[in-house]
Amino acid sequence: MPKQDSSKTKDNKLTSRRDFLRSAGNYTVASLSGAAMLLSDPKPAKANVTWEEHFQKNYRLMTDEEKQEAIERLETRYSEEYGKQVTVDGTPSIEGVLFGYALNIQKCIGCRRCVKACVAENNQSRGDEQQIEWIRVLRMEKGKFSEADRDQHGYPESFGVQVGGNAYKPAGVVLEGQHYYEPEQVPEKDAFYFPMQCMQCEKPPCVKVCPVRTTYRDPDGIVVIDYNWCIGCRMCIGACPYWARRFNWGEPNLPKEEMNPVTHYLGNRPRMKGVVEKCSFCVQRTRKGRWTACVEVCPVGARKFGNLLDPNSEIRKVLAKKKVFRLRADLNTYPKFFYYMD
Amino acid sequence: MTCYRNHQTLFGLCLLLFLFTSPLLATENQTDQECFESRDGMSQVRVREISPGLVNVKCSSTTGGVLWWGDPFAGTIPMGDMDIEADYSNEEAVVKPREPELDKNKMLTICSMACHDGNYVPIPHSKTPRPLKMHLDTVPDAMNLKHGKGNIWCLDCHHLVERTKLIDNFGYSISFNQPQKLCGKCHGQVYRAWRDGLHGKRIGMWDKGGKKRWWVCTECHNPHDVEQKERNSGFAQLRPEPAPNLPKGMVNADHERMHHGAHPDETGHE
Ligand code: SF4
Ligand code: SF4
Repeated sequence: MPKQDSSKTKDNKLTSRRDFLRSAGNYTVASLSGAAMLLSDPKPAKANVTWEEHFQKNYRLMTDEEKQEAIERLETRYSEEYGKQVTVDGTPSIEGVLFGYALNIQKCIGCRRCVKACVAENNQSRGDEQQIEWIRVLRMEKGKFSEADRDQHGYPESFGVQVGGNAYKPAGVVLEGQHYYEPEQVPEKDAFYFPMQCMQCEKPPCVKVCPVRTTYRDPDGIVVIDYNWCIGCRMCIGACPYWARRFNWGEPNLPKEEMNPVTHYLGNRPRMKGVVEKCSFCVQRTRKGRWTACVEVCPVGARKFGNLLDPNSEIRKVLAKKKVFRLRADLNTYPKFFYYMD
Repeated sequence: MTCYRNHQTLFGLCLLLFLFTSPLLATENQTDQECFESRDGMSQVRVREISPGLVNVKCSSTTGGVLWWGDPFAGTIPMGDMDIEADYSNEEAVVKPREPELDKNKMLTICSMACHDGNYVPIPHSKTPRPLKMHLDTVPDAMNLKHGKGNIWCLDCHHLVERTKLIDNFGYSISFNQPQKLCGKCHGQVYRAWRDGLHGKRIGMWDKGGKKRWWVCTECHNPHDVEQKERNSGFAQLRPEPAPNLPKGMVNADHERMHHGAHPDETGHE
């Protein structure tokens, strides 16, 4: 992929709490010199924005007015930075809605279009240096499953975890996934594909471990992150059993012309260096009634989404009529992301 | 796929190759560029600006498929015309009509009026399939009919004397805009699942009363060659989007292709 560093926003140095503290730390009297530095910024609007942003509360604890102020600050900042009218939405959970997701693993052809649609929608960093993708598609080989095999061989030769067959023979699907598969065409004859993203757990271990409570579960079941309060300790990454969270090791690279200007405070607004991010069920879309970008793009219609509390929703019909399983149900995380088969 | 890897030295070369080999794909999301919605070569859609800075669709620069819908309802008509028995009374359901797509060059219309109107070409009285002698140029997949495992032929689906129509069990015509009425004749279970929203694709709004674009059977499946190559998934094989970047310092992904223990078939001990 051609590198897109050219449009990287290099001029904007004071984008995060850490940057501010680091810059301030270079002076002897941190707060005063920090203020002096901010006030000497050639663009006073930006300086004010930065100043107030650094001292804002955790989003969850803000009053409605404070939320509105924070949102307006960000809209000004992003519109200036990306050279277009950017909106930051703060729509809260809708009453009576609990979001659920279902994916038909029998249908998925492993085309990774969901991955790229997610990047286009959610303003992830792209390019060679700092690539972030929230969805991973695993390729799994189909094992062999024949009576003769089972009867003629002894203890399994392969160390792969076996699914199906009996204890003496690798059979069925061998749970050894490939992330970097690159065949000419998909689907391949001998493979299954297994997409993974944040499961929006009902009991999310990532929330439990976060020392600053910047990540939490909203009433509609979406586990969200207030990026301004993330200290980048990456505890949540360690706690998540589904490999769902990503860390911005460097300054994100988001080309101006590709930036999606329709954003949500807790979702796809541009992130800064040193914060963790993950799938938010496209909160900027779904709280407005739209389907997620990955649901819309999947060319085989393998992805279904909806309100778990509505008995007539597609997602409830999937749960009622199909063969459904959840990933690592043994961990009691209660994912709201279901896999199913016809 | 070295173009997507970290080889800085190859970068320029790859870029050049990229520009020369795929002029259409070299520039991302430019208006007037065309990409396909579901099946390559079928349901093409052109990128247009619908409001300042917002396009109707974004195309993938690597595979030429639609990656993102800015306007999920462009070119759709109300589902009401489709006359299906699904319960979409509490939502606004729309579809993209198939006829304009299929009859882009007016071939269907012309053929139907010129010869296949019941006057010129004799109406077959035997239902024994015979190889198609003509039209192999206009119906390239005619000799590759992989539908129904050889048990059906052209006139099981196409109307005898109205070539712009499909046919139902009683000999009445079905519009190409409503292929599900034809497909549902044999694939009842899938049809029901589709009606319930469990099979197939929808875009637009998830919520009650929201507006949804339903996708009909032939938008995703090729009715002449449903099996589509080796893995019979009913869906055309296509080029996948590029793999994620390898972790820093890793040169290839051989580790994940390696088996920790050989399968007996490969080691040869029985
Ligand atoms: S999948 Fe991981 S990141 Fe998502 S809610 Fe569960 S533990 Fe948290
Ligand atoms: S877009 Fe659909 S078919 Fe393609 S990898 Fe994602 S889930 Fe699978």
